Amino acid sequence: MASSEDIFQMFDSETKKLQNLIDIADSKTDMNIHEIVETYYQVMNVSSMATMLKEQAYSEPGSLLAKIRETEKMISEKFDSSTHLKILAKISLSVQVMTKNLQSGHSDEKPKEQVESDAKLFESLRQAMSTREFVEQYGKGISHD
Amino acid sequence: MISDIAKNLVGLKKEFVKVYDGNSQIQEFIPKSKSELLPIEESHLDLLHEFATTNPIYYNSFEKKIGSVDCIVYEGDINKYWLNSIQHGSSKAPFSPTWMMSGYVGAMFAKELGYSEVIDIGSGDGRIAYCAKVLDMKSYSIEIDDMLVELQKSLALTLDFHPCCSDAVTFDYSSLRLTKPIFFIGGLAQMGGIALASGVLDKIGHISNLKKNSGWAFAGTLSKKYSADPKNEAGWGTLIEENNLKSVKTISLPTAWTFHESDETPYIFAKSN
Repeated sequence: MASSEDIFQMFDSETKKLQNLIDIADSKTDMNIHEIVETYYQVMNVSSMATMLKEQAYSEPGSLLAKIRETEKMISEKFDSSTHLKILAKISLSVQVMTKNLQSGHSDEKPKEQVESDAKLFESLRQAMSTREFVEQYGKGISHD
Repeated sequence: MISDIAKNLVGLKKEFVKVYDGNSQIQEFIPKSKSELLPIEESHLDLLHEFATTNPIYYNSFEKKIGSVDCIVYEGDINKYWLNSIQHGSSKAPFSPTWMMSGYVGAMFAKELGYSEVIDIGSGDGRIAYCAKVLDMKSYSIEIDDMLVELQKSLALTLDFHPCCSDAVTFDYSSLRLTKPIFFIGGLAQMGGIALASGVLDKIGHISNLKKNSGWAFAGTLSKKYSADPKNEAGWGTLIEENNLKSVKTISLPTAWTFHESDETPYIFAKSN
């Protein structure tokens, strides 16, 4: 069984990873889908760990409880209230722009190469839409908390 | 015989997947002529080719021998219709076509079961209704997406399969004066198909004596991507039971959405219990 110190170290390390991902998200103007998914995955990962460890932390008051509270505050005040909203706005805009570009490119007579090259743009749009849905689902989750 | 044609079509599809090296979003083949594996009237094959050659979703075609059968391969792209359907939020399931040959085999089976009218619900480009018309059945094509209905109207110049732009769950089916119809429900159970089928069943149930004479063809899926229905039938078991229907036969046929899958699309034919 892991010692209290091991648990603290693990939680601290995951929190630092999250902090780093949030900083990258805040500084970048154009996150790719992989970066977005990785960031949300880490938020969910750390939030779950915090929930699980809280009970243990209450029975052994000390640095772990303080760390959990600090991390939860970061997720709530920094990620949920700011970073998440920025990511959602960016991906929504990106979906809007891609949609508009693809709509304006409509023409019935396109050469085969053009149709197949455009199909890749449609695929990117589908990926962006599915990521937007994932991000929106996170938002619905926090609004029900 | 129809089951054999369906089986042979699936066998040829598997051959086609191995030899196809193009990059199109959708692709399918239609035999050039009658063969032992696919003994289909030449005049019917000509009409199926005409549908494909006049259909703007296909942008390329070429000859290819698949297994022992000389075929024409049609390559297509349906992205602009997908974009239109998501823009208007009109469609519960975005357009993705069954194969022409599958539509034809499905209509053949409907005819063999004794149905005289085919109503293609959520019909996309109207191919099932068209195939029914090729087989000299009465056919109607109900589609909510206006862009797709415009496409259907251009295809209906060859054979009038009665394209109609309407929401299938509010459509007045009594206006068609149906006697022994079969309804092909477009869309998988898990992709809006249940709501669509339930709505149509409800409308038909309100027309005197029609439900007991009606048949139903549901497009199922065996994909693990979707949660299974506790009553099975490839996603349709609960709806079949709750509406007092019984499954008559299931035939597996190739569709655009199963091209890269090992399982084909099971079409579940059902009738009133």
